[in-house]
Amino acid sequence: MQNQSLLEQQLGRDAELNLKNKRTGMFVFQVSWIMAFVCIVIVNWQLRFSANWRPAGTPEASPLIGIFATLALVISAVLVWRAVNAIRADDDRAFILQWGGALALGALFALVMVYEWLTVETGTQYALVFRLMTGFHVVHALAIGLYMALVFRNGARGAYHADHYWAVEAGAKLWYFVLVAWLMFYVVIYWV
Amino acid sequence: MATASYPMDGVAGQVKRPALAEYFTWSIDHKIIGVQYIVTSLFFFIIAGALAMLIRWELMTPEITVMADGSQYNTLFSIHGTMMIFTWIVPFWAGLGNYLIPLMLGAKDMAFPWLNAFAFWLLPPSGFLLILGFFIGPAEAGWTSYPPLSTIYSPDGQTLWALSIHLVGLSSILGAINFIVTIKNMRPPSMGWFQMPLFAWATLATSIIVVLATPFLAGALTLLLLDRVAGTTFFDATSGGDVLLWQNIFWFYSHPAVYIMILPGFGVLSEVLAIHSRKPIFGYRMIALSSMAIAIVGFTVWAHHMFTSLQPELRIPFMITSMIIAVPTGIKIFGWLGTIWGGRIRLNSANLFSLGFLSLFVIGGISGVMLAAVPVNIHMHDTYFVVSHFHFVLYGGSVFAIYSALYHWWPKITGRMLDERLGKIHFVTTYIGFLGTFMPQHIVGMQGMPRRVAVYDPQFQDLNVLISLFSFLLGISTFFLLYNMVVSTVAGRVAGANPWRALTLEWQTTSPPPAYNFAGEPVPFEDPYGYGTDASKAYLDAMESRFGPSPGAEEERRPPSGALPEPQPAGD
Repeated sequence: MQNQSLLEQQLGRDAELNLKNKRTGMFVFQVSWIMAFVCIVIVNWQLRFSANWRPAGTPEASPLIGIFATLALVISAVLVWRAVNAIRADDDRAFILQWGGALALGALFALVMVYEWLTVETGTQYALVFRLMTGFHVVHALAIGLYMALVFRNGARGAYHADHYWAVEAGAKLWYFVLVAWLMFYVVIYWV
Repeated sequence: MATASYPMDGVAGQVKRPALAEYFTWSIDHKIIGVQYIVTSLFFFIIAGALAMLIRWELMTPEITVMADGSQYNTLFSIHGTMMIFTWIVPFWAGLGNYLIPLMLGAKDMAFPWLNAFAFWLLPPSGFLLILGFFIGPAEAGWTSYPPLSTIYSPDGQTLWALSIHLVGLSSILGAINFIVTIKNMRPPSMGWFQMPLFAWATLATSIIVVLATPFLAGALTLLLLDRVAGTTFFDATSGGDVLLWQNIFWFYSHPAVYIMILPGFGVLSEVLAIHSRKPIFGYRMIALSSMAIAIVGFTVWAHHMFTSLQPELRIPFMITSMIIAVPTGIKIFGWLGTIWGGRIRLNSANLFSLGFLSLFVIGGISGVMLAAVPVNIHMHDTYFVVSHFHFVLYGGSVFAIYSALYHWWPKITGRMLDERLGKIHFVTTYIGFLGTFMPQHIVGMQGMPRRVAVYDPQFQDLNVLISLFSFLLGISTFFLLYNMVVSTVAGRVAGANPWRALTLEWQTTSPPPAYNFAGEPVPFEDPYGYGTDASKAYLDAMESRFGPSPGAEEERRPPSGALPEPQPAGD
């Protein structure tokens, strides 16, 4: 009986450490991978001094579309945050609604980005870098969105609850990463 | 005064080594993965070393005689440099860290065992992609792969080169995340940050550099691949691209990569010199924190590789930062000198290689400071002086530290001691071969012999013949180690748990360690380098009574040959 209790204590400590490791690992991964986005910002910065950056008469990307996409992403991140709080409170219905809403807005954001990527006038370094930035970012958004869709499916089946929601938390943190990376790109692409 | 703290349960007796087949399969045991990394990197070291021998054979004459043409010679130094860096030194440290970090921290494994295995299994395909290049026209643009050489003028092997480095980069990032999390979260409660072994500090600093810098390499390689296969023009100046873009991004990773290659070696030296001098490390905190300082300042010096192409107004700031980074490195060197000063220095193979490192790395460091000075750099740019400098740092530094680590931790990994006589022959031939190869390169470099050419001015031939002959000795010296490793693993002297009577936790378990490393929670001694105190002696005696005497430790107890008999029994 005592051995059983000791074993349970040990397993509990192991599970706690495991979760702590995952959270730290996710943080380190985010810090690391954001550097790839910083690298591309530097690419933008250096190439914009080239002669063929944006010859006179080249149309710019519309900041309005950019704002629209950014708003969609920001709202989806807020919904993700609320969804995580919902699952922490064991409110499955709110979780599904908010997570689903976030997914829908994420899909909208991705669609806008694909449209931007396809319609930018090519032939300049500006267009090349524009496509690099939007393409690189949307690949991340789609991959993480796919993971979030899996979480949505599992969540709909009742897989997560207040004591077991790491998959949800991980998806949320990855989506925040998509948001932070986009905000950085958005400023550089549309405003600087 | 130190108080003794005793380890709790251990596993007495000898633990069987894992079956050979286990090393060829997917394993999530950090010890298996560590050995997989080490052996794989040694394999690529031999190939890259053979390429170096071909380079030196070609340079025996000032005309092309061995290679078919200059293009073939280009492939030699390109793949030599790439393999040595990305598939030998970097993964060797990943392997050693994998093996040692959980043991040093008293943990059962790394934080993410599956991810650990995945990171390793990216390495063999990466190396083989480099080799595969030889069948379709290998990369010719050097390990730095500057465009347009790497975009327009290099054959398809350059694409494989970029894919290969992508894989190594990903492997490094995943491994570094694992190290950071393991070191932060998995230390025992009684091991604070400043009770951590210095090798763990060095691995932490290295991992921080890897996670912050390697994504830049990934970015640069992605652009290179896009230029090569998708028709983009990021580096094509005729279409508005910029070749300097590659240099900036590449060196933002690759200068910190120098510290990725040397910092773990610094960690090895801190362990080996303290243990084999039987003295507490001198300036523990300064050595630990200087690793972090190097990691930080290392990000501010990249443009010294571009002095000849850099805007003049930026040269001075980068010159200053490049000189500043010598300060934390100097702190370490003074720390190590203070450690061995007055110590009972054991001149065994592990320590000889560490002392060898100390002597050679200082020379590499001094030539580094010389190259940090803009006028000298511009004069020496792309000459053999640069080749000499970085070989003093990366061979005299990193590779000597790797050798030292192998002699030091081989008993823990295999349960057998490496043969000391062969080890000393290995050291002497390596040291002489190294100095004979790379010291004269300072001279030919200062006289103006350019690097990366197969055809050179005949006035340099005599020195080049001398360099080549010594390089062959250096090549041969490696076989003493390889032979020693094979023979000692099969029939070497049994090591026991703690042949060096060391205080860090990896020695407070059997050699090799059992599954999950320790039975129960190991309790570290309060100071990992507290040699020479009664408390440390009591701790080590307690360990010895638990695991049985280590035959190697008998050697440790004997006074060094030629030394006066000591008033005390073995100092711990």
